[in-house]
Order: sequence, then structure tokens, then C-alpha cells
Amino acid sequence: MTFKKISIACSFATFGLYAVLILSLFYFFRGERLLDTILSPRTLFSIRLSLGAATISTVFSVLIALPAAFALSRYEFPGKRAVDTMLELPMIVSPAALGAMLLIFFNNPLGLWIQDHGAQFVFTFYGIVLAQFVTICGVSTRLIKAAMDEIPVRYEAVARTLGASPGKAFLTITLPLSRRGIIAASILSWAKALGEFGATITIAGSMAMKTETLPIAIFMRLSSAEIEGTVILILILVSIGLSILYIVRLLSRGASYA
Amino acid sequence: MLEVTDLSVRAGTFVLSQVSLKVLPSSCHVILGPTGSGKTLLMESVIGLRNPQTGKVILEGEDITCLPMEQRGLSYVPQDLALFPHMTVRQNILYPIRIRGGKQNFENGIVRELIDSLSIGNILDRSVKNLSGGERQRTALARAVASGCNYLVLDEPLSALHESLKTELWYLLKDLQKRYELAILMVTHDLEEAFFLGDVISVIIDGKLRQQGEKRDVYRYPHNEDVARFLGVGNLFHGRVDRINDDSLFVRCEELGDTLTLSTHWRKLAVKKNDDFMIGIRSEDVLVQTPGEFMSNTPNVIEGTVMEIFETGASLQVIIACGHRPEKVKLVMHRSASTGLNIVAGQKIVIHLPKENLFLVELA
Repeated sequence: MTFKKISIACSFATFGLYAVLILSLFYFFRGERLLDTILSPRTLFSIRLSLGAATISTVFSVLIALPAAFALSRYEFPGKRAVDTMLELPMIVSPAALGAMLLIFFNNPLGLWIQDHGAQFVFTFYGIVLAQFVTICGVSTRLIKAAMDEIPVRYEAVARTLGASPGKAFLTITLPLSRRGIIAASILSWAKALGEFGATITIAGSMAMKTETLPIAIFMRLSSAEIEGTVILILILVSIGLSILYIVRLLSRGASYA
Repeated sequence: MLEVTDLSVRAGTFVLSQVSLKVLPSSCHVILGPTGSGKTLLMESVIGLRNPQTGKVILEGEDITCLPMEQRGLSYVPQDLALFPHMTVRQNILYPIRIRGGKQNFENGIVRELIDSLSIGNILDRSVKNLSGGERQRTALARAVASGCNYLVLDEPLSALHESLKTELWYLLKDLQKRYELAILMVTHDLEEAFFLGDVISVIIDGKLRQQGEKRDVYRYPHNEDVARFLGVGNLFHGRVDRINDDSLFVRCEELGDTLTLSTHWRKLAVKKNDDFMIGIRSEDVLVQTPGEFMSNTPNVIEGTVMEIFETGASLQVIIACGHRPEKVKLVMHRSASTGLNIVAGQKIVIHLPKENLFLVELA
């Protein structure tokens, strides 16, 4: 067997692994329960909650990630390496640990003060948004930075010698040129937020019709051995996720500017 | 006038040190140097993309060293032109006007005139991704001039073009310079381009300014061996000063087995007896004849036997054994130097190195 054949076989094996997992869901799939499950108030609430929280956390995350990614991509400043390393924290710390860190923070004096004088995060919708935000913020920044790294600094330099201020050069050159990357990063972050479970359940709990996002609903139904409902919810999550990945692929088919 | 004084800038381990130059209004100052000599670093420091360690950049009397790029009044065209790929040609050209809040239409006098003079009226609505090399250069030049800056900083903007297109753009650039009274600071490693476009030339090698002057002076009298070799002086021989009199300098050249006489050009260097130098002569100044054609009192006439000949386009590289010396000498001469002579290996020839065309070059 040649190296080429072995490597192609491995790629199909990877695909097969996930395909088998998805296909195996259909063993417990009951078509007649599909509409009932999807249209049940509890499922609709979970979908709405998941979509709403993921959208809000993604918007906040991208708003912070855009300037942060630009700074990391374009400037040298003290502590840049530390900032850059910290972006990977959500990837190396398990989501449950991240949620536990949030919970511990809100039991510290500063956290308690925030809860008393600002918004309640523990066991609330805000907690879901915060858990998702903390999970995706580093990823969004990393992905947007990668998109901006692709844009040669010369474009901004030329724009500035033609009269653009740094802000105008960012808005008229860097932002439009990295648009595809930013959209792709936003969608991926949104998808990651949508599927977030560990941090969310740790800080927001699993209260039906209150903090039950789609992944939590899957966990809840599985806990109560309701396999058929679990399968339908998983399929909803998988469908949303794969559709999003497909859109990201389409958007990523842009030209390189280097 | 754009003035750079004692500019030093570091990039990693590379240092560009103590560069000073002036770009007079409506003139072109060319920075010439091999790849990796620090030319782009200099350009980036002048436009403000890099902070120099020392030195100043002064534009019309104002110190702009610390000014942000957009306030310097220098329009920059990098090597890859950096045409904004998400815009059409029209949008690229109008960018400097739009960004300054100006009236964005092509009836704007200078823009209309630019479009006409650069013959790009037919490509205005094309995306810059679909332009040919020449169209890209024209668009980049139009955008730079449309900015209204009288000072252009060009970093090898024509390097990617083939020869005929390059020559066409030289004329175009000259025309733009005259028409809009532009002062141009330009980088190139192309000798022909430098001598065509430049009024003043600075040669930078290994991060150091090696020579600066009017283009004719730089071409005719390179100061040192590195510059001479970079400027394509094909004939360089080691020599030791033998004696000096009022109007001539006599240099013993062991390679040619003769004492060469130089007329005036050595005066630019401090010369004394027994100093070692290189003696240079350009290929087009070497004359070749058959034995007996030169008068016996003509200085710098060397007899030799042709060992090998290599043709390199307009010039010939001839390997010669001079007199009875075992060492062979390589001489580069223009093809026209041997007009009427069919030089072949084994032939005896006489080479004349006219004393007014020989020059002294400091050792590297």
C-alpha cells in the first residue's frame, strides 16, 4: 500500500468515524415523534434560548475580538505574548472548569459586588451568555487575527500615505479585506457558542424553561433515558452545525492577498 | 526639498546606517543597490512605517520624522503596488480624494488629466485583480499622483515588468514627473532604470551609503570596488601607485604586466606613491586593434594573445594572455570595440585602455 493510499484511507476513516456516529442516531430515530418534539414548548424554548444567547455572546465577542485581533496582528507592545497565550485558555481548560472558575469568581467579593450592583449571572440567562462569551472570545480573537494576518501591512501603509488616518485605513482597507475571515470567525464562534455545554451548566444550571439550552436539553433528556427525544435534539444541533460549517467553507473560498 | 539626514534604522540584525540624501523639487533621486542592501528599509523609514534609531526626515524645512504617515505629504508606491484588491481602478484612483473628503468625480481636473495621460480610461470599472502588469503600474501611479502629494516614494514599482513594458513606463514616469513637477525618491536594483530616471544616484550596499552624486559621475567614476562591481564595471585590476606628476598618475598593474597611465580621474582620491588601488575601465571604453595599429608612444597599449572568447549579448568577454606572462586576464569589451576585427582564439591583438577613461577605485 502506498503512502498516498494510506493517507487517503486515514482521511476516510476520520470521516467514517463521525459519519457512523451520526448514522447510528437513526437507529433510535422515530419520524412520528419529530414534529412533536420540535414543536413542544420546551424544545422551542431551548432552541430560542440557544440561538438568542449564542447570537448575543457572539456579537459581544466579535466586538471585543476585532480591535484586539488588530492590535495583536499589527502592533508590538509589552505583554503581547502573554495576551496571545491567554487566548488559548478556553481551549486548554475544560468547559466545566471554565464554568467553575466563573462560579468561583461570582462568589468572591468582586463577583458578589457585581451581582449585587449589576446583573445576576448565576443561574440566569446572563450566566449562559457569559459562559458562552468566555468560551468563544479567545477563539474569535484568534480566528480574526489569522484573517488580518493575511492582509499585508503595505495596504494600510499605502492608504495612510494617501491621507487615511489609522482608523480610516482600518475601516476602508483592513476591515473589508478581512471581511470573509471575520464573518467565518463569527459563524464558527456562534456555532461553538450554540453547542457550549460544560461552562453553561456549571454557572447557569439546567432549569427547564429558564436556562435549558439545546445541549443542556440533550443532557436532560438523556439523563431521563428519553433516547428518541435526545436523538431528535442532537439531529437539530448537528443540522445547524453542519449547515454553518458549509457556509463558512463557502466564505473561506476567498483570494489570498499576500 | 525632501531631506534625510544621518538616518539609521535596525531590522532584526540588519542595520541601515547613517544615510543622508536630498531630493530636490522636480527631480528624481534613485537609491540603487543589490537585493538585501537596505533600500526598502530606507523607504519604509522615510514614509514612517518604521521608526529610525537616529536621524531626521525633513520635508520643505519641516521635521516630519515623528509625524504619522498620513501627515507627511509623501505618497508611497511599494514593490507590489498594493492596489486595493476590493476596489475597482476608479475606486483606487479616487481613494485619496475620497479619504480626504474631496469631490469624487472624474471631472476633477487633475484626475481626468491623469486618466488621459496614463491611458487608463478604458479600464476604470475593472477590478484591479483583472489587470495586466502595465495596467497595474499605471493605476498605482495615477493613485499616487491623485493624492496631490508632490513627493513620490517609489519602491521598485517596475521590477515585475518585462523589459519593453518597463521602458514604456520609464517614459511615462518622466512625463508625469515633468507635468506635475514631482519630486521622486525611488529604489531600484536595475542599473538602466536608475540611470534613465535618476538625476542623482545613491548607491547603498550592505546597509551603508557607498556613493552619492550626479548620475554621470556615479556611472563614470565609482569610488570603491563594491560600487564599481555593482555598477557593472567589467574591468578591474589591482594596481600600485608608481609615480605621480602634474597631469598623470602611473600605476603598476601586475595583472596586465604594464604600468598604466591615468589622466585626471584619480584626483578624486587621496593618492600617494605605493598606495594600492583598483584600476577600472568600462567595457565600452576598451579599444582593440591588430598589432602595429597604435603609435608607439601611445600609453596603455597592451599586447596579448586571445585564449578564449565568450559572447554575452552586447559585450564580449575575452581571456587574454599578456606578453609572456602565464596568468590569463579577463577583459570585458563592447562588441563594437572589435568592429572590423574577427577576433578568434590564438590571435594576437593589441588592447588600448585610453588614459582618460581609466579610473582609480578604492579597495573593498
